[in-house]
Amino acid sequence: MRSQRVCHLSPVLCAVAVLFLAVSPVTAQRATDHMQLKYPSLRDVVVPEVQRVTLSNGMWLLLLEDHELPLISLSGRIRVGSIYEPADKVGLADITGEVMRTGGTKSRTGDELDDELEQIAASVETGIGQDSGYVSVSVLKEDIGKGLGILADVLMHPAFRQDKIELAKMQHRSAIARRNDSPRSIASREFDKLIYGPESVYARHTEYATIDSITRDDLVAFHKRFFGPNNMMLAVWGDFDAQEMIARIEKAFDGWEKIDLDLPPSPEVDYAWRATVNLVARGDLNQSNIYIGHIGGRMSDPDYAALTLMNHILGGGFTGRLFKNVRSRQGLAYSVFGTYATRYDRPGVFAMGCQTKSESTVHAIEAIREEARKMTQEEVTDEELELAKDSYLNSFVFNFDSTGQIISRLMTYEYYGYPPDFLQQTRERIEKVTKADVLRAARAHLRPDVLQILVVGRPEDFDRPLSTLGEVRSIDVTILPPGK
Amino acid sequence: MGRVSAVWRRAVGSVVLPLLAVLLATGPSGLAQNLVEFESRVTEFSLDNGLKFIVLRRPEAPVVTCFTHANVGAVDEVTGLTGLAHLFEHMAFKGTRTIGTRDPEAEARALAKIDEIFEAIRAERLKGGSADEQKLAELQSRLAEAQEQAQQYLVHDEFDEILKRAGGVGLNAGTSSDYTVYFVSLPANKLELWMLMESDRFLNPVLREFYNEKDVVMEERRLRTETQPVGKLLEEFLAAAYKAHPYGQPVIGHMSDIEAVTRAQAEAFFRTHYVPSNLTVAIVGDVDPARVKTLAREYFGRIPLRPAPGPVVTVEPPQPGERRVVVEDPAQPFVLIGYHKPSIQHEDNAVFDAITDIMGSGRTSRLYRSLVKDKRIAMATSGFQGMPGQKYPGLFLFYAMPARGHTNQECERAIYDEIERLRNEPVSEQELQKAKTRARAALVRQLDSNSGLAEQLTFYEVLTGDWRNLFQQLERIDRVTAEDIQRVARACFTTKNRTVGIIETMAGENES
Repeated sequence: MRSQRVCHLSPVLCAVAVLFLAVSPVTAQRATDHMQLKYPSLRDVVVPEVQRVTLSNGMWLLLLEDHELPLISLSGRIRVGSIYEPADKVGLADITGEVMRTGGTKSRTGDELDDELEQIAASVETGIGQDSGYVSVSVLKEDIGKGLGILADVLMHPAFRQDKIELAKMQHRSAIARRNDSPRSIASREFDKLIYGPESVYARHTEYATIDSITRDDLVAFHKRFFGPNNMMLAVWGDFDAQEMIARIEKAFDGWEKIDLDLPPSPEVDYAWRATVNLVARGDLNQSNIYIGHIGGRMSDPDYAALTLMNHILGGGFTGRLFKNVRSRQGLAYSVFGTYATRYDRPGVFAMGCQTKSESTVHAIEAIREEARKMTQEEVTDEELELAKDSYLNSFVFNFDSTGQIISRLMTYEYYGYPPDFLQQTRERIEKVTKADVLRAARAHLRPDVLQILVVGRPEDFDRPLSTLGEVRSIDVTILPPGK
Repeated sequence: MGRVSAVWRRAVGSVVLPLLAVLLATGPSGLAQNLVEFESRVTEFSLDNGLKFIVLRRPEAPVVTCFTHANVGAVDEVTGLTGLAHLFEHMAFKGTRTIGTRDPEAEARALAKIDEIFEAIRAERLKGGSADEQKLAELQSRLAEAQEQAQQYLVHDEFDEILKRAGGVGLNAGTSSDYTVYFVSLPANKLELWMLMESDRFLNPVLREFYNEKDVVMEERRLRTETQPVGKLLEEFLAAAYKAHPYGQPVIGHMSDIEAVTRAQAEAFFRTHYVPSNLTVAIVGDVDPARVKTLAREYFGRIPLRPAPGPVVTVEPPQPGERRVVVEDPAQPFVLIGYHKPSIQHEDNAVFDAITDIMGSGRTSRLYRSLVKDKRIAMATSGFQGMPGQKYPGLFLFYAMPARGHTNQECERAIYDEIERLRNEPVSEQELQKAKTRARAALVRQLDSNSGLAEQLTFYEVLTGDWRNLFQQLERIDRVTAEDIQRVARACFTTKNRTVGIIETMAGENES
């Protein structure tokens, strides 16, 4: 069957056809062109009211009732992170976060906690990331007492049993031994070190020596310094009554003493602009992993809205310029990316890249670099800007399709000192962004003349020597043996 | 697996592992009510051409997930044409006769010219050693020219753009041995747009940019298999486990097959397998089921009825003895152990689900407890069913990543010890109860995601014949006894029925 393409006849005919469809009283008529479709208006999203409370012990609470399913979830943040661990004990924060839970509490071993939780299909987990600690609880509603009790016990009275410290250290050592098994992970790890510096708290990583030097005393002291109710936020959502829940939480954490808060902020990044070419040579690969970029920015930047749209146009999913030109048009890669990343409290990384067969390595680098250059040289087209805006605005509803997402976002904003309506503010700014704004933001933030390039691959098979791009620095990723 | 800020679309491999669904009869009554209430919100209908719809109303947020399950996967490919199901999945984003082109007639002529040149290249290449290199080079440059010509009629990635502009998120697809799935979530008022786009995709697909996309898929193969030690091992392992059944073929396809396949072959594959009765759609979200039905008839009713191809006839014969494969690589050791088992339709399927939970799920599982916690010889280990598929008899798979300084052999031995225990002693009542409770809770936790539900409803509908098995499966697991587990373990986990694959670390540059 051949489809009739009314809209391609003439704009007038098309308008008539749409009108006809709109007033036609009989059953739905099938449109043959998506431009003919008329959409019913989307019903308003009712954003539920989140309740905020600060407990007498200083803990900051967010609550949101959701009675659809008989479940209760908690998610918390503690101001702690690997940015606070000493350089000779990299891994301390991560191991502390893990063994708080696996090492059990004063009254119960970690294995006993595992049994207790798995019998009721519940989970209580803890962890410490780069600039935040995390807790999470998921229980069937009738088990909330048990779940909350275990969470409080783990946070307040972790026992840091030696066997689980050894287990965590074994896992870390095994991960170190395996860290060069995936070329992708070599590339992303080494690129972070190029951007932030190898010693930076934002890029450094574990070695056998740093793991070996971590002791139980270190864990105990690290926990003591950072874990207290006044250094914690907790979000709770699910099938409960808010007033009852506040009382329950107050009781669960009864007796937890406040701690002294004198934490320094996240360290600044001192980026030295430079163009470099770097190679991790791996003779066994037939495909190169490529990273290209420089330092990125912060979400608090006045250009954030323009940069968000620029990212859509440059590297946004399956419709960005990089996808079109590097993947669809030239077939150079399966996965290609390019984002000027912004973070809450410190600069992110501007990173573009792809994986391409060894024989098209330099060609792909040039094709990607060219997209960054174009972004700073000419305005994007009306169609591109419109697509990016429509996509952002029309998909905005997905920011509100789960209660966990709504409440966790509020907690994150609070944690990093952003206004609770940051998302709505961004939306308003997005609507106003012009092509000139995108070009101005691209010029202010992208520096295609001073890009750092990193390739993990087999240089013998490259289409041209990497040195045609600049002087090549070779990166040795050999893993330091223990004791070095 | 590290997260890369990249495009993970059109994934290959088993994108969809079935939910372990279990219901504990003695569980809190509130849960059973939730499930009954959920079932009552489902409506289903079939069109005259055989295409089936399952609609689940979830009015919580004004959004909808649209999910198409095509009953075709790598298992339906024949020798010389491996990777075709996955390649077609990529091509399904290239548009239709009206989407993705400025001038369909002129484009059709340009594409025919590309096909002609490629067929000549293919014929020359197949001469092997006697191929005329100069002629090949000349044809290659003509191909590039013809591809450049065709570009002028192209509207790049328009299919993606239209859905993205409408607010679509998570637009993607995946191919496994058993099936191919296509999905997107949209604001609820854009349902008709999806109806138009998706029906057109399977009515009038145009496989434009076919030869560029083959290059993309070859990069995907390098990315997932050739430069990933475990990907490499898995491919070798499945090839050893299956000598007859197509479950032994890689979903991504062999490099030489991807290189040689023509657009005409991909179109023929589409015509054979993408018949309406092979398509099942789930619509989950804030929709009116009556309107879904009206629109479905209007749009999907256009697809003409065609006969469905039959299932795979080849049956994997019993193994005459253990099979072993080795991948030599600079990477750290890894061990995979697989046992042939029946398909999802077999009455013992729920027993394997219980075994998965007891042996392989979580910190209290037997494997984790033994290999990681107690012996500290592995950094990770598990056991599960579902590889490489479930439609036909698949494998129950165990794996371990040896801890630094420990070996595949130690881990293999420790896994066998746990298997022996399962064969020789009944599992405790407590372990069995835990498995049942956890699976029930896992199902309840899945009920709050439109996309997860859409995936599960179509999965159970197509692989077991009824979406209700998503829920009824719980009762089956609840009936599993300790004796069942022992009986099944004894029958399945035998040396003769086993395939073992390992990565053997060769002196390389990875570790000093």
